[in-house]
Amino acid sequence: MTEIHQELHERRILGTELLWAFGVGVLIAAILSMIVFTALSIGVNPPSNVERLDPKALHLSGEFAEDNLGTSVGSDGRVVVRVIATQFAFLPRCIPVPVGRPVTLRFVAPDVLHGLLISGTNVNTMVVPGYVAQVHTEFTRTGDLLMPCHEYCGLGHSEMWATVQVLPENQFQPDSNGRVSCAQR
Amino acid sequence: MSDSHETPSIDRRLLDQPWRFWSTVAVAGTLLGGIILGALIIPVVQGRSAGLDAYTAICRALGILPGSPAQPQPSDRVQRTPVSQVVWTSELLHILARADPARGRTKALESCAACHGETGIAVAPDVPHLAGQSGPAIYKQLSDYRTGSRAHDLMAGIARALDETALADIAAYYAGRPMRNPNPATLAPAPAEIITLVELGDPRRGIPPCASCHRAGSGGPIETPVLAEQRDEYFIQQINLYASGQRRNDLYARMRTIAAQLTPSEIAGLAAYYRAGFR
Repeated sequence: MTEIHQELHERRILGTELLWAFGVGVLIAAILSMIVFTALSIGVNPPSNVERLDPKALHLSGEFAEDNLGTSVGSDGRVVVRVIATQFAFLPRCIPVPVGRPVTLRFVAPDVLHGLLISGTNVNTMVVPGYVAQVHTEFTRTGDLLMPCHEYCGLGHSEMWATVQVLPENQFQPDSNGRVSCAQR
Repeated sequence: MSDSHETPSIDRRLLDQPWRFWSTVAVAGTLLGGIILGALIIPVVQGRSAGLDAYTAICRALGILPGSPAQPQPSDRVQRTPVSQVVWTSELLHILARADPARGRTKALESCAACHGETGIAVAPDVPHLAGQSGPAIYKQLSDYRTGSRAHDLMAGIARALDETALADIAAYYAGRPMRNPNPATLAPAPAEIITLVELGDPRRGIPPCASCHRAGSGGPIETPVLAEQRDEYFIQQINLYASGQRRNDLYARMRTIAAQLTPSEIAGLAAYYRAGFR
């Protein structure tokens, strides 16, 4: 091969490389701008709340003891939902929430990595043992929403799901302790 | 001739120089851009809608400041006793790992063998077999009897008379016994719907497969008992106690929720399946 041929060959390789680098760069830029756009405009973000809790003793902790799970309304009107994600179920299995009001969802896992999303909403988080996964959201439509586990957690993973019941204000009735239960249908 | 070899190598290094420079710039730029976006711009903008000032938002994004726990619940509810006092700490796992089956055998002959059998094969129908049962499962139940989390007139007294090491030793002794040889007469083919429930569960009702926890080595919770070759009378009795909520020492209501959804014929079918122990 002569010098000139070699030179042409090098240039052709360079051209191809630049083309691919440009294509990949455009893709990365597009995906990143999508993430930034959704983060800034509709509040999609990885849960930023860092809160540790001993996963081995959740049943002895005050907040996530069995009797304290589910939906409760504080004296200040704040709606807080506490849920345990365990192999292979959510406790409680039906979660009532009001429509059009801010809701704080708090999830913990005692055993392995779990995850969840509530279909049709921006709620989507991993539940890591040792941490509280906290999500603030507001449900905009009434109806039953599916909340499946979306992080493989073991052989029963595909049977792990719960229902989120978004209730109109007149059906969302806390009892004297501020607890709300799912409407029976 | 050596010149003609060296010249191109120098050329190549010179040729590479701008690439090395620009790739470094690209990597450093991406990193810097990521930090600015992820640790500054996004937290500040999102923090504003959550009512956080810029400094707090940035510190929380970096993990320096903890997040805001939800407000504590009004404490007008009477705190009931937890369903179990057992916590699988590393100290407890050490005690279980160091347990001595020989010591456990002596203790078991004194306290357990009259009902559960010397080798863990029980005689009475409502007494479970313990042979080959998982050690942590035996320990958990004994411990729950001791703390009153699981109620049984006889077992509570026996378990209270033993200390923690003795419980671990007994658990290790029975866990080390081999399972029985299954009686071929009980190996009747199980109905398809029972096999499905054991192997696949029922996604519609949210019932996970029994085998996802109750088969040895399945990767479920540590305290899960092995069900193979268990007595059917005892099995049915316990499922019904879970379903009615009379027995509630299962953490996070794992079994109460499942048992309450099983039909009587499913419970009978599962009991027969596990009595045989094999498909």
